[in-house]
Amino acid sequence: MKKTLTLVMALLLTLALVLTGCGGNANGGATPEPVTPTDSGTDPAPVETGDDDVIKVGIFEPLTGANAAGGQMELEGIKVAHSLVGEVLGKKIVLVEMDNKSDDVEAVTAAERLVNSEKVDIVVGSWGSSVCIAAGDTFMNAKVPAIGTSCTNPLVTLDNPYYFRVCYLDDFQGTLLANFAKQEGYKTAAVITDVSDTYAIGLKKYFVDAFGAENIVAEAQFNKGDQDFTAQITSVMAANPEVIFAPSGYAEAGLMMKQAADLGYNILFLGADTWETEVMFEVGGVATENCRFTTFFDADAAPTPESTQFLTAYEAMFGGKPKGAVTALGYDAYMVAIAAIEKAGTTDGEALQKALTELDVTGVTGRCVFDENGDAVKNQAIIKTVQDGGFKYISTVVVD
Amino acid sequence: MEKNKTRFRGIASGLTKNKRRNLLLSMIAIIALTVFLHFTEQGATVGSYEVRVLNLCAVYAVLALSMNLINGFTGQFSLGTAGFMAIGAYTTSLLIMPVSVKAKVFYLEPIVPWLENVHWEGNFGLFGALLVAGLITAVAAFIIGFPVLRLKGDYLAIATLGFSEIIRIVFTNTQSVTNGSTGIKSIPNTANIWWTFGVMAFFVVFMLRLMKTSYGRAFKCIRDDEVAAESMGISLFKHKMLSFVISGFMAGVGGGLMASVLGAITPLLFRFILAYDILLIVVLGGMGSITGSIVGAFLITTAKEWLRWLDAGFNIGPIKVPQIAGLRMVVFSALLMLVILFYRRGLFGNKEFSWDGMFRLIKNAPKRVAAWFKPKPKGGGAK
Repeated sequence: MKKTLTLVMALLLTLALVLTGCGGNANGGATPEPVTPTDSGTDPAPVETGDDDVIKVGIFEPLTGANAAGGQMELEGIKVAHSLVGEVLGKKIVLVEMDNKSDDVEAVTAAERLVNSEKVDIVVGSWGSSVCIAAGDTFMNAKVPAIGTSCTNPLVTLDNPYYFRVCYLDDFQGTLLANFAKQEGYKTAAVITDVSDTYAIGLKKYFVDAFGAENIVAEAQFNKGDQDFTAQITSVMAANPEVIFAPSGYAEAGLMMKQAADLGYNILFLGADTWETEVMFEVGGVATENCRFTTFFDADAAPTPESTQFLTAYEAMFGGKPKGAVTALGYDAYMVAIAAIEKAGTTDGEALQKALTELDVTGVTGRCVFDENGDAVKNQAIIKTVQDGGFKYISTVVVD
Repeated sequence: MEKNKTRFRGIASGLTKNKRRNLLLSMIAIIALTVFLHFTEQGATVGSYEVRVLNLCAVYAVLALSMNLINGFTGQFSLGTAGFMAIGAYTTSLLIMPVSVKAKVFYLEPIVPWLENVHWEGNFGLFGALLVAGLITAVAAFIIGFPVLRLKGDYLAIATLGFSEIIRIVFTNTQSVTNGSTGIKSIPNTANIWWTFGVMAFFVVFMLRLMKTSYGRAFKCIRDDEVAAESMGISLFKHKMLSFVISGFMAGVGGGLMASVLGAITPLLFRFILAYDILLIVVLGGMGSITGSIVGAFLITTAKEWLRWLDAGFNIGPIKVPQIAGLRMVVFSALLMLVILFYRRGLFGNKEFSWDGMFRLIKNAPKRVAAWFKPKPKGGGAK
């Protein structure tokens, strides 16, 4: 019995090997054209086209692992954009999906595979910064420009002329939140920071700078994954702040607001784009209605030509509305990549890099110009809150 | 052979025919590997993607050896490898990073003055940094070892895991030394394929020699039966500590190499998940087998990459399988389970590779294969 099983397994493995052989030659991971109806029914062999006939856009996203949810949302945005613009410079665009598994070690090999085995012309991604930091040198050495979607860590673009990103950064968001708090008439604030999250640390720094260090009456820290925030809340509330700025993950934010309400404090919580997840109000319940946070995009905001186009295409492809703002960022990153190829008129890495630095496009998440670091200079953010078990759009803030 | 005998009088005359053959084969293998590494380094054999994978294989082999020493050879179930790697990785990175890069990377809080102007350059720098990384990690292992090595089995595993997490949390909070959760980037990629394979070879030889000494035998004795070992006069604590400290040294060097190969590290990289990845290699290769750790490291690291074609969508004859992200991890896990079902003690058990063993395997292979196809004895199918 065992021998038969062994034989079957051995046969299966051999079969797998043979299949890879075929797959390796014909498709070679160049994904079998998701949106071209002509190819779907026919033999896969015609995919064997030279590198000159197609333009390859690498998708560097966490499709599995801890950040898979974020990666999948961005992938949807990229696919929507690809369905609208599937051709540039008269050549067909092929998406090459590469999973970085939310893992720094795997991210480097995935990046290496994109640029050296798949020979992609430009890369889009990723969700989360650490994988981008790890893979950045690979893209730079290969002179393949990468357009980050929602990687906000300053180290991503530091000393790396080939990494760009379409999201706004901690400084923009932190400053904006501080100004928002001032406009609403709050004079003093307390800050509770997740020290294990570089994103939270960055936000805190810029919030404090803009709000004025003398107006911060109390500070407290915690680590990602903490469940009990009563000590932090009690200690900062002792200083009587008018508002609490709590840059943190969505689960921690929900818990924190719930515990503050349970302790009898009715105070406004300010946060940033990570909060926009259903888990936040599932954990926090009614208490989360007392919050304001910034985000990149909202389907309910006043429509622009770009956002209408995006939402219609999304509806047609996946149905409903995008689940998160990062879907719009994935869309914008792809559009920026295509705009750069069009401007450069070639897929040469150096020319693309130059084109990107001079680019000025308007996307779904606002106008997008890259500064000398390769960071997008954004001018628009959206303020949202929670109401009746759902997110509610409050206002769009445009900074000049 | 008869003619050659005179020429080899010096080293080979005392050896039997088999031993002489083995020596020759070993030499050929080493020369072949060296030639391969030379051309790979020149970029003549494989692309940079494959070099990257090979580098990782070798680094994982070092880490697997480190874990195998304490888990497989000494029988102490320790899961602290990730924490030790973090110490090694941060020590190496901070020593070999250029001064100007440090100033840029530590943008939130400047780096502490005593590390600010340290820059150990080039290959000598990396050698020194790895050595220091190993020593610091060994000291850390020595300190942690005092309380935890009094525990056994699962309790030891939990305690070491706890210390590993403590190390990571400390690194997350020491902003001015480790740059906290932001991590470090632009670590010089000094560790090329010579470094990774060289360090691996060094530790392989070291482990082989160590296992032949009285210490090595004492380790195995403790693994097999602690009571018997103690009654034979082996100091349990002393030997466990020695094994733990050496294992820590190797994990520190391995972590340092990994930092230089990757070029960027964050504390999140050293979560306990990383220790499980290495444990997987050790168990698959065989607890208590040096060969097993090496083969396991190469097999698992390359298999994960090789299976990537599964994610991209493919055709089985007329059936079209769409793109499913993560399919490769499902297949990978299934393959692992199959291997463990058929090789319950890992691929190598606690055996080592030898030329004699390989020739025996080749000689017996036809017989084994024939046995599969032999008609079953009557009633055999009912089993």
